[in-house]
Amino acid sequence: MQSIEVIAPRYDIAWYPWAVQYFFLVALSYTSLWLAFPGTVLGLERWKPVARLALVAAVTTAIVAPVSLLADLHQPLRFWHFYAYFTPWSWMSIGSVFLPLFVLLTVALAWLVWREPMKAWRGPGLVGGVARIVTLGDWTSPRWSVVLTGLGAFAASIVVAVYTGYEIAVIKGRPLWHTDFLPVMFVATGLIGSTGLLLVLDRFTGTRAAELRAMGRAASRSRATSRQLLMVLLIACVLAGITAALWFAVGLGNRDPSVAAALDSVQDNPDWRAMTFRAIATGGLLFLGVLVLLLRPQIRGLAWVFGLLALHTAWMFRWAVLMNVQTVQRQTAGFSEYHLAMGSGGLLGIVGSFGLWLAVLMLIDIFVPWRAALGGAGEPAVSPDPKGVPSHG
Amino acid sequence: MDLARRLFMTQAARVTAGAAFVPLAQVAQAGINDQPPRRGGDPTKRYAMLIDLRRCIGCQACTVSCHIENEAPLGKFRTIVSQYEVENEETGALAQFMLPRLCNHCDNPPCVPVCPVQATFQREDGIVVVDADRCVGCAYCVQACPYDARFVNPRTQVADKCTFCAHRLEAGLLPACVESCVGGARIIGDINDPESQIARMIDEYHDELMVLQPDKNTAPHIFYLGMDERFVDRPEARPGLWDVRDSDGAELGYEYAEH
Repeated sequence: MQSIEVIAPRYDIAWYPWAVQYFFLVALSYTSLWLAFPGTVLGLERWKPVARLALVAAVTTAIVAPVSLLADLHQPLRFWHFYAYFTPWSWMSIGSVFLPLFVLLTVALAWLVWREPMKAWRGPGLVGGVARIVTLGDWTSPRWSVVLTGLGAFAASIVVAVYTGYEIAVIKGRPLWHTDFLPVMFVATGLIGSTGLLLVLDRFTGTRAAELRAMGRAASRSRATSRQLLMVLLIACVLAGITAALWFAVGLGNRDPSVAAALDSVQDNPDWRAMTFRAIATGGLLFLGVLVLLLRPQIRGLAWVFGLLALHTAWMFRWAVLMNVQTVQRQTAGFSEYHLAMGSGGLLGIVGSFGLWLAVLMLIDIFVPWRAALGGAGEPAVSPDPKGVPSHG
Repeated sequence: MDLARRLFMTQAARVTAGAAFVPLAQVAQAGINDQPPRRGGDPTKRYAMLIDLRRCIGCQACTVSCHIENEAPLGKFRTIVSQYEVENEETGALAQFMLPRLCNHCDNPPCVPVCPVQATFQREDGIVVVDADRCVGCAYCVQACPYDARFVNPRTQVADKCTFCAHRLEAGLLPACVESCVGGARIIGDINDPESQIARMIDEYHDELMVLQPDKNTAPHIFYLGMDERFVDRPEARPGLWDVRDSDGAELGYEYAEH
């Protein structure tokens, strides 16, 4: 049978790039919190440099993620309906309770950790004034409060990881989403993204340079932070690879219809084929790059480039899953076209949420001595002049 | 009391009432993504539709009358007739196949349990509706429906769908699509009433009736008579007319461009 659908109605996508931004940022946030966990909550000395970076990453992304989520609602001012009509059988409603809890606990954890070095910044001027207000007194953050808040944030982060995955995986109306492998893949690619982000932050906030200066050139190859981050990144790559391979294998055994749906899409559409090859190539390049960096410490100065590639991988995975899958028609012929709009529902929204993240990062960098947290050496170039803004050269 | 204050008071009252309306027993019973209890509507009835495809000529009168009755924006459809031109690969003979589509008012509607604010719900008479005042426009239900029967209305910014013209049924009228169907292909009625035309036809044609995407386990309540099983799932077809563009490539015929 050969047939033509004479007039194929086009069904627009219903979730916009804001959704990609949310799923990307929130995954960076909860996986960053996990990376901060050993140094912050368990107090492992070796993991404290990673924890310092991870805490910044977790807090900044946790603050921006819900903004993107809110923007994806068509009625954002009705957000309070989530709390007025709590619906425990809906994953999204469960998320609406645990997401603010996660954000709150993550910010609280960072506050408890950061207020210690911040106390030294109290004084005149804007930065000193903010430090005076934010530290809320001269008391020392008790260890138990850090541990309890950290454990709470960790518990909430698990729920956020599970709900963001199953919110999508539960939808049988889109066969490509309806697989238990998707939540695992979200976590694995999230971890890829967050280690990538930490490598980039490590390079551009100057923590790497400062640590290398302190260690001396000879010892620089044995720097633990780079090795730890690259190792986690490698493990995350392997986890993502195994998950994808298992998904494919189970699907070939006809036990996961999402694989059949994926093969259909790839066969029907040259764009999907190109996307699949790009994804496999990017994943392979990332894995090999990280492996080489682990084996050859002398070129670890390039780690941030692979950090960017890791971020790209995590973001593109979410773009493919959330946006491209929406263009697969469910009962009419063809693919529905999607063109990225220029306005706030499209490109401006993507750039804007990254801009907001950058703004939050800069504000924290200006007002919080996060480098000195958890026994860090702090700012090498902090200006004693309270009117001056600390410079991190 | 000024308007803003009054609005706030109403909303505050809703917050409190809303909290009270989630009985603990319900929380304990309903697993995640289980169907919540139905509410509203006549519990003695179960509305359903039987579409006799042998009588459908693809005139789209139902599409147009639904648009006028329910004020759906152009380019968005609560119901539409898919029209296929089918070629026999051996003989080359051409045939037309018409397939009216609308909300299936499923017995296991996947759109209902996903709604995070219980704005979309199934009435006791089986009709799946949306409370437009409560809907937050998250579009989760749009994703959940395998039949693309839902959309976010660009004018109201909330989820929109076929309601079997519940407002007309309540007034003793037929839905707009049924009323306007020139061939009498659409038959709506209460399947709990054995004397109704739909109940009698379901009895008579029981073995011939088909529903869309039965493997999704949604228990649809739009029954097709004269259906070809190759059209039950997404048919293998090439799109013909996709959208209409003018000589400059600008889109015609859609009231709203991409959001």
